[in-house]
Amino acid sequence: MKPASFSYVRPNSWPEALKLVAAGARPGAGTQSLGPLLNLRLAQPDTIADLRHLPDYAGVAVEGGVVRIGAGTTHAAIEDGAVPGRVGEIMAGVARGIAYRPVRNRGTIGGSLAHADPAADWVAVLPALGGAAVALGPRGERRIASAGFVKGIFETELAADELLRAVEVPVLPAEARWGHWKFCRKVGEFSKATACFLALPGKAPRAVLAALDWPPLVIEDASMLAKDPVAEAARIVTAFPELGAWRRALAETALRRAVERAGGA
Amino acid sequence: MKKITISLTVNGEPRQVLAEPREQLVDLLRRELMLTGTHVGCEHGVCGACTVEIDGAPARSCISHAGSCDGASVRTIEGFGEDAVMADLREAFSHEHALQCGYCTPGMLVVARDVVLRLPEADEARVREEMAGNLCRCTGYRGIVRAVLRVLAARRLHA
Amino acid sequence: MTAEQGGLGVGASLRRKEDARFLHGRGRFVGDITRPGMLEVAFLRSPVAHAKLRSVTKPAGAEKSVFTLADLPGVQTIRANSALPGFRVSEQPALAKGKLRHVGEAIAACVAETRAEAEDLAGACVLDYEALPAVHDMLAAPLPTSPLVHEAWSMNAFLETRRDDDVSGLDAIAVAKVTRTLRTSRQCMAPIEGRGVLAEWDPRLEQMIVTTSTQMPHVTKTGLADCLGLDEGQVRIVSPDVGGGFGYKGILLPEEIVCASLAMQLGRPVRWLEDRYEQLTASANCREHHYVITAWADREGKLLGVECEATVDAGAYSSYPFGACLEAAQVGSILPGPYILPLLRCHTISACTNKPPILPYRGVARTGVCYAMETTLDALARKLGISAEAIRLANLVPPNAMPYRNLVGKVFDSGDYPESLRRAVAAFDLDTIRARQARGEVVGFGLATFCEQGAHGTSVYHAWGIPFVPGFEQAHVRLSPDGVLEVRVGVHSHGQGMETTLAQVAHEILGVHPDKVRVVHGDTALTPYSTGTWGSRAMVMAGGAVAEACRQLAERVGAIGAALLQVAATDVEVIGGMVRRRDNDGAVSIADVARTWYRAPQNLPPGVNKGGLEVTAGYRPDPDTGTHSYACHAAVVRVDTETGAVVIEDYLIVEDGGKLVNPMIVDGQVLGGLAQGIGTALYEEMPYDAAGQPLAATLADYLLPGTSDVPDVRLDHMETLSPWTTFGQKGIGESGAIGPPGAIVNAINDALAPLGAEVTDLPASPPRVLAAIQAAQAARR
Repeated sequence: MKPASFSYVRPNSWPEALKLVAAGARPGAGTQSLGPLLNLRLAQPDTIADLRHLPDYAGVAVEGGVVRIGAGTTHAAIEDGAVPGRVGEIMAGVARGIAYRPVRNRGTIGGSLAHADPAADWVAVLPALGGAAVALGPRGERRIASAGFVKGIFETELAADELLRAVEVPVLPAEARWGHWKFCRKVGEFSKATACFLALPGKAPRAVLAALDWPPLVIEDASMLAKDPVAEAARIVTAFPELGAWRRALAETALRRAVERAGGA
Repeated sequence: MKKITISLTVNGEPRQVLAEPREQLVDLLRRELMLTGTHVGCEHGVCGACTVEIDGAPARSCISHAGSCDGASVRTIEGFGEDAVMADLREAFSHEHALQCGYCTPGMLVVARDVVLRLPEADEARVREEMAGNLCRCTGYRGIVRAVLRVLAARRLHA
Repeated sequence: MTAEQGGLGVGASLRRKEDARFLHGRGRFVGDITRPGMLEVAFLRSPVAHAKLRSVTKPAGAEKSVFTLADLPGVQTIRANSALPGFRVSEQPALAKGKLRHVGEAIAACVAETRAEAEDLAGACVLDYEALPAVHDMLAAPLPTSPLVHEAWSMNAFLETRRDDDVSGLDAIAVAKVTRTLRTSRQCMAPIEGRGVLAEWDPRLEQMIVTTSTQMPHVTKTGLADCLGLDEGQVRIVSPDVGGGFGYKGILLPEEIVCASLAMQLGRPVRWLEDRYEQLTASANCREHHYVITAWADREGKLLGVECEATVDAGAYSSYPFGACLEAAQVGSILPGPYILPLLRCHTISACTNKPPILPYRGVARTGVCYAMETTLDALARKLGISAEAIRLANLVPPNAMPYRNLVGKVFDSGDYPESLRRAVAAFDLDTIRARQARGEVVGFGLATFCEQGAHGTSVYHAWGIPFVPGFEQAHVRLSPDGVLEVRVGVHSHGQGMETTLAQVAHEILGVHPDKVRVVHGDTALTPYSTGTWGSRAMVMAGGAVAEACRQLAERVGAIGAALLQVAATDVEVIGGMVRRRDNDGAVSIADVARTWYRAPQNLPPGVNKGGLEVTAGYRPDPDTGTHSYACHAAVVRVDTETGAVVIEDYLIVEDGGKLVNPMIVDGQVLGGLAQGIGTALYEEMPYDAAGQPLAATLADYLLPGTSDVPDVRLDHMETLSPWTTFGQKGIGESGAIGPPGAIVNAINDALAPLGAEVTDLPASPPRVLAAIQAAQAARR
């Protein structure tokens, strides 16, 4: 289980990184998702552009009600409180449930999101929190709403010549009620169904149903789910007959329990 | 493919090695540096046998490629000579019969040491959660969990 | 129990001598060993389950680095025959020959300076094959409509066995009768270290030296010599530190043959290390059983008879040395378990399919058979309205019947089976569990009782007629000039701590401090022949042999010591590392005796045994039908009825392994087995699709239990000595892995009983548990 041959390049600047990517290099961050694919030869890139050493790749900044998290920020950093405030608290809890600590020490929020495994945690959670993915391309930065960023299995809205520069989440008020539930058969395993529920004062609650072998389902107005979680969760999952009885039951359970964990309606 | 030069600090010693760009850190350590205490278990990041410290934090050396460790400081099971926590863990592992075939043990110890230092208040449930990424096929884990708890308890007592 | 307690000999929880090297990363596993000029091998393996292999096109320019069977002149086929009547023997080529019979079967060996480059070569080979329908379902495999895995056979079965007691009258007299259809999944044993082979030809010795991760170096030597056409003196097997065995490394590997042949041909050392992908996709090779089982009982739950139709998926070939039938053909003899069973009708099939050849995994057939019997017993108890404890007490062999010969001729040596059950049940607050159930909590309590035959001897194995029959186990002991005792054994320790426990045995006899005892194992050049480490035999057989060798050595030491003390040999005893006068009026140390033999032979008495201070002694218990340890496993589980997830809240094992040579190590064996049994019960499964493709290629898909999946188990020991072994010890290494599926599924079914649901298939994974619940709901509507 050794990777096929590739060349390794470590760009020193973002423009250099963009050039490499535009030329077909595969961006690599913590390689916690890419590493296994390389070893199994399921990914056979000619070149890997290692983004880890780019200036400002990791790090968190708050400005105007938005928290900007450098794509290279590790799950472990988030777990340890790198993101401030209520949203940081929420994200720290999510981060603790990603794989295992040694993986979280290398794996990054941007790497995981850009990898777009439907079962991955940030793929499910970021759309629920709102905010955007910040893409960097030859023409500068652009923002892509988190809710639509992942558009398929291992497929995102990033263009071929773009890199994920950062993730933005809104600063949340202390009263924000959050519920997150996922089904893993073991600690650290990939989720088989994930649901998130976020209720902000004065706004319709938002929910996400994810880890269902396709991009997350974002329910922008989850008022019905909040009101009658049992009936509404059952209704939502009827849309996915291809899931099979067990996964449908998990999805339904995930929705109900996420609402419950947020303190109900 | 042309080999690349990788400079890194391993167990406190600066090293410069030639490697194929595709090489993962674990293979570099074992082949080039003959540090065979770090074991290859699954090569996809699940079993934890290859866990080493990179820049002070535990990491999977099977999915951290060698090139990305240029400039990094790596510590393997062979590099904890004088470390007091590791000494306590080794003693506790033997006392609690936390190892049998010994194959998972080096990775287990690297993670256990991180748990002890990072989570001094960890209880049994937390230790089990934190150690869940290191698979052992021999012991059934009871000795491992008890060994980590023993070291945690002793440190709390002497804190 | 972890502290050293009461001495250093048999019965002491001595800390392990081998720990230090592993704790410092100084273990030496095959993958840690390199040689100058060594080449690495990657295998081109079959991507399909069943096909005619037409050709392999080697990568242009690298033809000399890729080897098919045609490039390995003189290499013989692996034939693991059996004397059981009707056995069909398979011809397993070291590399595929004309046909591909399972995914992962080795087709060609690709050789390069690095493993990565060798994999490049394998990836560049082009295969031409004609796909055939895969024989993937063991129940359909033996039917006349199935395509044949081996063309020359009349049906896809290695063997059928029958026992035909007449059970036709039982319907009329039984108060309760239940029938269950049960299935266990195919598993991968998954030691954390995979297999590995380093082969090198020593031109001076004209010897093939193979360093390989094996549990049975001597048997591998015999098999390898056979397949290479060498005499056995030309093969030396070194088995260094081995990262877990469990049966996975009790086999002569095609890869060993290929690497050895390549090393001879190329004149360079050649190494292959199995990676996890290979292990999961090419070697998921155990535990796949199917049962249709019927049991009849009277009003008290006493068994009147059992009828069983058992099928085991034995895969494509008969592996060397254990063969393809060790599981299925034992079903009939293991089914009675620890119970008094009057009648048994049993038909078994070892089905041949396009899957990896089956190997005996820790527990061997017993894990499945115990599961079948224990869940069936609980079904009977539910039907009769009696408790799980009551039905077992009604049937367990009582202590006053020991030694007990059961209806299939197995002889239980000793023990109080009912007491283990009573102690287990007494350790739980069943009232609280019942009260929780009454409140609607989906919790349950489950039991499994069983016995484990270990250290099977000549009388058991000669009838199998497989490539080896265990006879007398030998140990060699040598007292060095400095008084250090070297103990050489042909069994192999790979986690069992024998470097410690065999030193304890030596200490028990000679009194030499365990620190001064060096146990040497894992090298055919240094150790006496042995069938190796399997079947929970090492501590009975090698332990007995080491004790016997030490006793004989003690006699010689005593004779020399007596001369030094100037008394008759009958006036001294060897004790505590000393030769002491019985009247306590003087002693010399064993080290003094050793010094005399080697360095001052002028002081030896006349008539001294010329054999000196080296002894090889053999041992076999009499009778050698095997020891029977036994246990009761008890579990409390909680079921999440919305997801099917099961949590083990509490788990207790009451175990009797006779005399425990090192209780700490025995606990470790039981706990380790338990974790594997939990894997069998709840997690581990290698599904195959209809094309015979394995569907779990990584450890993210094939789930091994981790720290958070195994509870903090309670252990309780009874200690009934075996009357047949040196210290009364019994084989106990596999026991932990046998009980969990029965106990856990019985607990699940107890929890689900109010819902009318029952789980029948292993693992009791969330989808299966939820399906059972949903099926019960549907049936009620």
